[in-house]
Amino acid sequence: MSTEMIPVLSAERITKRYGKKTVVRTASISVNKGDLKVIIGPSGAGKSTLLQCINYLVTPDEGRILLEGREIDPSRKKDLYRLRQDVGMIFQDFNLFDHLTAHDNVRIALRRVKGIDKTDASERAVRELERVGLLDHMHKYPAQLSGGQKQRVSIARALAMDPKIMLLDEPTSALDPELITEVLAVIGDLRANGMTMIMSTHQISFASEMADEFIFMEAGIIVETGSPAKILSQAECERTREFCAKINEIYGTSY
Amino acid sequence: MEEMLFIRTEVVPALARGIIVSIQLIIPSSALGLLVGMAVGAARVYGNRSLTFAANCYVAIFRGFPLVVQLFIWYFGLPYIGIYMTPYVAAVLGFSLCSGAYHSEYIRGAFLSIKQGQLMAAKALGFSHVGMLIHVIFPQAFRRALPGCGNEIVYLIKYSSLAYMITCIELTGEGKIIASETFKYIEIFLIIGAVYLFLTTIASWFLRRLENRLSIPGFKPFSV
Amino acid sequence: MIESLTILAGALPYLLKGSVVTIGVVFGAMSLGLLFGIALAVGQVYGAIWLKRLIGLYVWFFRGVPLLVLLFLFYFGLFSLLNINLTAFTVAVIVLGLISAAYQSQIFRGAIVSLPDGQLKAARALGMSDATAIVLIILPQALRLAIPAWSNEYSIVLKDSAVAYALGVTEIMARAHFVASRTYQHLPLYFTAGVIFLILTYAGTKALRLLEERVHIPGYSQ
Ligand SMILES: Nc1ncnc2c1ncn2[C@@H]1O[C@H](COP(=O)(O)OP(=O)(O)OP(=O)(O)O)[C@@H](O)[C@H]1O
Ligand SMILES: [Mg+2]
Repeated sequence: MSTEMIPVLSAERITKRYGKKTVVRTASISVNKGDLKVIIGPSGAGKSTLLQCINYLVTPDEGRILLEGREIDPSRKKDLYRLRQDVGMIFQDFNLFDHLTAHDNVRIALRRVKGIDKTDASERAVRELERVGLLDHMHKYPAQLSGGQKQRVSIARALAMDPKIMLLDEPTSALDPELITEVLAVIGDLRANGMTMIMSTHQISFASEMADEFIFMEAGIIVETGSPAKILSQAECERTREFCAKINEIYGTSY
Repeated sequence: MEEMLFIRTEVVPALARGIIVSIQLIIPSSALGLLVGMAVGAARVYGNRSLTFAANCYVAIFRGFPLVVQLFIWYFGLPYIGIYMTPYVAAVLGFSLCSGAYHSEYIRGAFLSIKQGQLMAAKALGFSHVGMLIHVIFPQAFRRALPGCGNEIVYLIKYSSLAYMITCIELTGEGKIIASETFKYIEIFLIIGAVYLFLTTIASWFLRRLENRLSIPGFKPFSV
Repeated sequence: MIESLTILAGALPYLLKGSVVTIGVVFGAMSLGLLFGIALAVGQVYGAIWLKRLIGLYVWFFRGVPLLVLLFLFYFGLFSLLNINLTAFTVAVIVLGLISAAYQSQIFRGAIVSLPDGQLKAARALGMSDATAIVLIILPQALRLAIPAWSNEYSIVLKDSAVAYALGVTEIMARAHFVASRTYQHLPLYFTAGVIFLILTYAGTKALRLLEERVHIPGYSQ
């Protein structure tokens, strides 16, 4: 890999404490264009916290974020809002705006954050909804959609902002098993189209087929990183091996 | 100096008189109001059809008419049919009947919110009707109704000031009289406001303490 | 009996004109309470600690002091001290509005904090400023949730507006009393006044229920 290449995003030595508890400890991640990095680790490891530190939904106590080599100063509102527009985020529980239709969910930030005019924003929203296969459902409200459909709307909402990178925080964890595939298919599509992504997931077998790198996290610390194959079969660290064995037991090895 | 004397000899005694009358209004009215509320609330839940209907009409009117209107009806209106009351009696009557209607809403809700399963379980254990009432229904209903009824009493403290409008001279009335004589409206009404604030704050504080003391995990109060 | 009825019939138009005044007071007070109440609620949920304290103090004061005392304080005291000449009607609107703002702020605050955290998070993640997120995402949901409690607040303000009679506002109650003192038909007149209030309560809460249905979002529940 060329050393000249500037990562799309790097998070350097991020630390987050709640009271006395250190939830993320000097964690660093850097992602190159088109990469998919997958964070795995037990519940409470700090995956969500780390991801939310990246776009300052949670303010880290230490560390810095660089977007395309430029350091973000979160105290400057413009910088912060710019960063968040450039970083798409997918939440475990979707967080669609409950008072807006699927179409309006995708459209609202285009209009009110990017200031795009109504017709263009509408067209763009329609295109993104089509891309995730929800054209027929665009006038429905979140409460009228299935979990899988909601998550696809939220992906469309993030994509419409033309993000440079997407953060996906356990995008399928809140879904019934039969709905997981439709969301994974959309994510697979993004990957094929070269979207840069960081994803936390328990879908190990799906992730191992797609990821460039696995990042194993536990108790707020990035314990080990490496190719999926290496992490899954010949992890250096005992804890990593234990975790992978357990996860295989629960979720199965085949996708 | 002269001013101080005036405050000592005129203002303080008048306000003290007023506070006493206000308290004489508030305490009997809240007690009577609660009694009325319990009777009406029970009638609405357990009464036969005509009793329930009558109770519902009562509540609709006494919650629907402004309290000022009700007080005027008792004091200025009833002489029309030959019933005369002192301002004080009319005020206590008006406050009790009005707050009773509000209390009955919370009490009714509290009774209704007790699940059928609770009664079945009590019966299955061999409780008598009275035993069931005392040991199962009341403890639950009381906790559910407490926040709403307590709030109602806090309201009553404030609304007791309306007695002034039917010439029952309590705290607000005494204040109005002195203020009109001295033109010290701001000072007098700030002091009076502070007294009410003190009373409502104490009452709310006491109520919250009682609620906490009686709280049971997972047991939500009933709210209208 | 017949005499009462003819007097009532004669007084009715006069009383109904009073209900226009009542509606004016209530409309003014509820509007003031709405705007100010929303501001207070937002400040209390999202504001700095000193702002939260200040708003807490405001709410405590205006919920703890009787309406009649505040009416006297403002009408005879504050506004004449400041040399502001306001009509009794205006003072009634302002005082009822300030009190209602205190109550409404607690309604809206409850609605705002009942919304899931994720709503604000998702709005921020899209690059919205907090102010934009509050206006576009939080308030549209919170205000919908608040309609039933708001309707209850309406019926309280409506009834409280009768106290404005103490300042000489010529609303329903003042007019009923005026006619009664000349015709000695106190009971029928006060009863009629009460019934007008009942009708206004019913009409207002009915309208708000229709509004609630109209702005209801399919499937949305809490
Ligand atoms: N706002 C908060 N205040 C205090 N502690 C918190 C807060 N948010 C998270 N934590 C704690 O931080 C730790 C890490 O949480 P986090 O949600 O990042 O874990 P996670 O790896 O995403 O877990 P999961 O797989 O369950 O989503 C947990 O122990 C959690 O209790
Ligand atoms: Mg998580």
